[in-house]
Amino acid sequence: MSTNPFSLESKTILISGASSGIGRQSAISCSLAGASLVLLGRNKKRLEETANLLGPSSSCKIYYFDLTDEEAVNGFIKSINSSFITLDGVIHAAGVSTTLPLRFSSFDKQETILKTNVMGPINLTKELIKKKGALIDGSSVIFIASIMATVGEIGKTLYGISKGALVAGVKSMALELAPRKVRVNSISPGVVKSPMSASSAYSKDDESLAIIEKLHPLGIGDVADVANACVYLLSDASKWVTGSNLIIDGGYTAR
Amino acid sequence: MEEKFIIDLKEALEIEEHEVALTDKFRDYEEWDSLNRLSLIAMLDDEYGVQIENKEFEALITVADLINKIK
Ligand SMILES: NC(=O)c1ccc[n+]([C@@H]2O[C@H](COP(=O)([O-])OP(=O)(O)OC[C@H]3O[C@@H](n4cnc5c(N)ncnc54)[C@H](OP(=O)(O)O)[C@@H]3O)[C@@H](O)[C@H]2O)c1
Repeated sequence: MSTNPFSLESKTILISGASSGIGRQSAISCSLAGASLVLLGRNKKRLEETANLLGPSSSCKIYYFDLTDEEAVNGFIKSINSSFITLDGVIHAAGVSTTLPLRFSSFDKQETILKTNVMGPINLTKELIKKKGALIDGSSVIFIASIMATVGEIGKTLYGISKGALVAGVKSMALELAPRKVRVNSISPGVVKSPMSASSAYSKDDESLAIIEKLHPLGIGDVADVANACVYLLSDASKWVTGSNLIIDGGYTAR
Repeated sequence: MEEKFIIDLKEALEIEEHEVALTDKFRDYEEWDSLNRLSLIAMLDDEYGVQIENKEFEALITVADLINKIK
């Protein structure tokens, strides 16, 4: 093992949502820290772009499927099993956002966001835990939640529910998996520059963007601010950290 | 079409008691705020299957512009 506790050398990390934004940057940052990678997303081309952004000596495998498709997930688990891939860590960065007033939050809309943001990642974690050898003892699992799990905003009921579910679930998973020394944590970012935030309602004009910026005392964040926290939570430097929700929001929730 | 749209618009913006004309600049309605903006965009998607990018939406000024968009 490397003497640097923040190193990810000899670790294999699975990253969902690796075709964009926070997931993509996490792939780059984990690779820089020495990790081998397994990258998940739906869009094959953009996953390959991520792989191309990694150094030439990086070891990386790509799988593309929809995380809400149970059969596809089972196929993926079989495939990593037959390739003898064992994981030391997982970053669940796949997710969708919505800004929708409550009275338009139909059953369908609720189902879509909960399936993608909650049921998909929980199901994948469950399958990894069930499959012997897929997730090694002592590994680290990270869910990318959001500060919308703890504070509110107009139109963020559904998104907040989905992220709050992750923050809540992390605590029980941490207790349940502690005997295996598997650590489970969430990260709650404020707004960071990514394709998701660029298409959000608050990016609609300069005025709204200025309001959002002002809510973050340190300004809008970068995807690297979140990815660096992932490196920490995956590394042995955080071996005593579990069941926590790491808030990385440029001071948004400090008030 | 126009009639149904105006009913939907009034409901989305919660301005049922208003008269609405095609030439109205909807952002000038007294009730216009950020929640109304989200409601209008959600209504266009739900009722008419029209998804509008932020930039595109900013270019729509009058009620008639909205109707043209859903045609
Ligand atoms: N950006 C922010 O300001 C911010 C703030 C707080 C929390 N977050 C959270 O951070 C995470 C990443 O956000 P981001 O900004 O990086 O978003 P993004 O750029 O939109 O990327 C989202 C990623 O999720 C993947 N994904 C979505 N639905 C999926 C599904 N059903 N199956 C498999 N993959 C799926 C996408 O894959 P494809 O593109 O390949 O389909 C994409 O790689 C999300 O959970 C988000 O809620 C973001």
